Amino acid sequence: MTWHASPSLLRGYRTKDPTLRADAVWAVEVHLETCADCRAGLAAEVGPDPLLDQVWAALDLDHEPAPAPRRRWRWLATWATPAMVPWLATTALVTVIAFLADLVGSTSVSLALLLAPITPVAGVAAAWARGIDPAHEIVAATPRAGLYLILRRTLAVLVVLIPLLALTTWTSPVRWLLPCLVFTVATLALGGFVGVRRAAAGLLAAWSVFVVAPSLLIASPPAVLEPSALVGWAAALLLCATVVRLRADVYMRLDR
Amino acid sequence: MSTEEELLRLVAKGDRAAFEQLYRRTAPWLTVRLRRRCADDQLVAEVLQETYLAVWRAAGGFAGAAADGSAVGWLWTIAARRLVDAFRRRAREATPLATAPIAPAAEDDALSEVVGDEVGVALSRLAPELRQVLHAMVVDGLTVRETATLLGVPEGTVKTRARRARIAMREALS
Repeated sequence: MTWHASPSLLRGYRTKDPTLRADAVWAVEVHLETCADCRAGLAAEVGPDPLLDQVWAALDLDHEPAPAPRRRWRWLATWATPAMVPWLATTALVTVIAFLADLVGSTSVSLALLLAPITPVAGVAAAWARGIDPAHEIVAATPRAGLYLILRRTLAVLVVLIPLLALTTWTSPVRWLLPCLVFTVATLALGGFVGVRRAAAGLLAAWSVFVVAPSLLIASPPAVLEPSALVGWAAALLLCATVVRLRADVYMRLDR
Repeated sequence: MSTEEELLRLVAKGDRAAFEQLYRRTAPWLTVRLRRRCADDQLVAEVLQETYLAVWRAAGGFAGAAADGSAVGWLWTIAARRLVDAFRRRAREATPLATAPIAPAAEDDALSEVVGDEVGVALSRLAPELRQVLHAMVVDGLTVRETATLLGVPEGTVKTRARRARIAMREALS
């Protein structure tokens, strides 16, 4: 800050000197907000003021409770809501149990692999669902609501779950990563039409009935999780992402 | 010598000495700025007291330098809104500073240390009531409704004057 207000300028500012040019007043006022030295200069210029002592005496801090403490993890609330935590925890628990079941070798097919694609669905549903999140209506009314917010929360879900999945499945991520993303985006896409909870429930049921159950019965890995099926998954991801992008304003309204 | 932001962080932890130091450092400036907008000293005293009480209670809520804000700016935000509230409470009794027409001193370069560029000149040539509205909305950061309460004019007048001020500035600068 190379320019500072001169004492005469400060005096003119303080005494509301009418001959002081308007842009001078403007400049001084904006400058005082940023320059501590000039504020001190102004204070020296003003001198002792009985008003200040009067106000200080009236400020009775003895009867005031201590100020509310700074919330240290406030930034975390911008990425995930408290309502999402139980769902993420349950999903993580299910994943760990599947991992342990695989260790024991109870099924011939890797249960963790079978369940991997649908893991984020519950977390995504909790990110934007009417019944699950008590603050849903309030959040939906804020200007922040919309595709950006829901994608941010979805990212939080993925960041938590994908490392866990990488640890619990032994096969390479190639098999389940793309299906995982497809299910995440599909929950959002379908949720825009029928409501996120119903979409999540439907997708979970469909995957369980059509892929998990037959695979366990026949005792062989499902065809949809083979590396050759990746092209189909990529196409599905593109389709769902397009749907989500085109219907972006649905996420600014209340969930069905 | 710690900055106001550091003092505010200490106040958030309940440090009364820091609060007193913050008061001693910022209250003189705040008083001068408030007095420029309000002729009634008692009202200024009320607003000061409410402001610093709010600072004590809500010091933890100041986002801090991380959010690219200054403690003093935050203080002014609180004080400006308290002033507007006080005006609303005492609707007619506290009159704002009367708009004395500024003597045509555009060619006066006695204050040559000031920004003498086109913006400054254009600002000086603006009609006083338009400049007042612009000052309240831009420098003080008040909304249309708050500006209307502060200056004691209807909201429609504020909007019209703001528009005229911007048009005049745009013409003067083009």
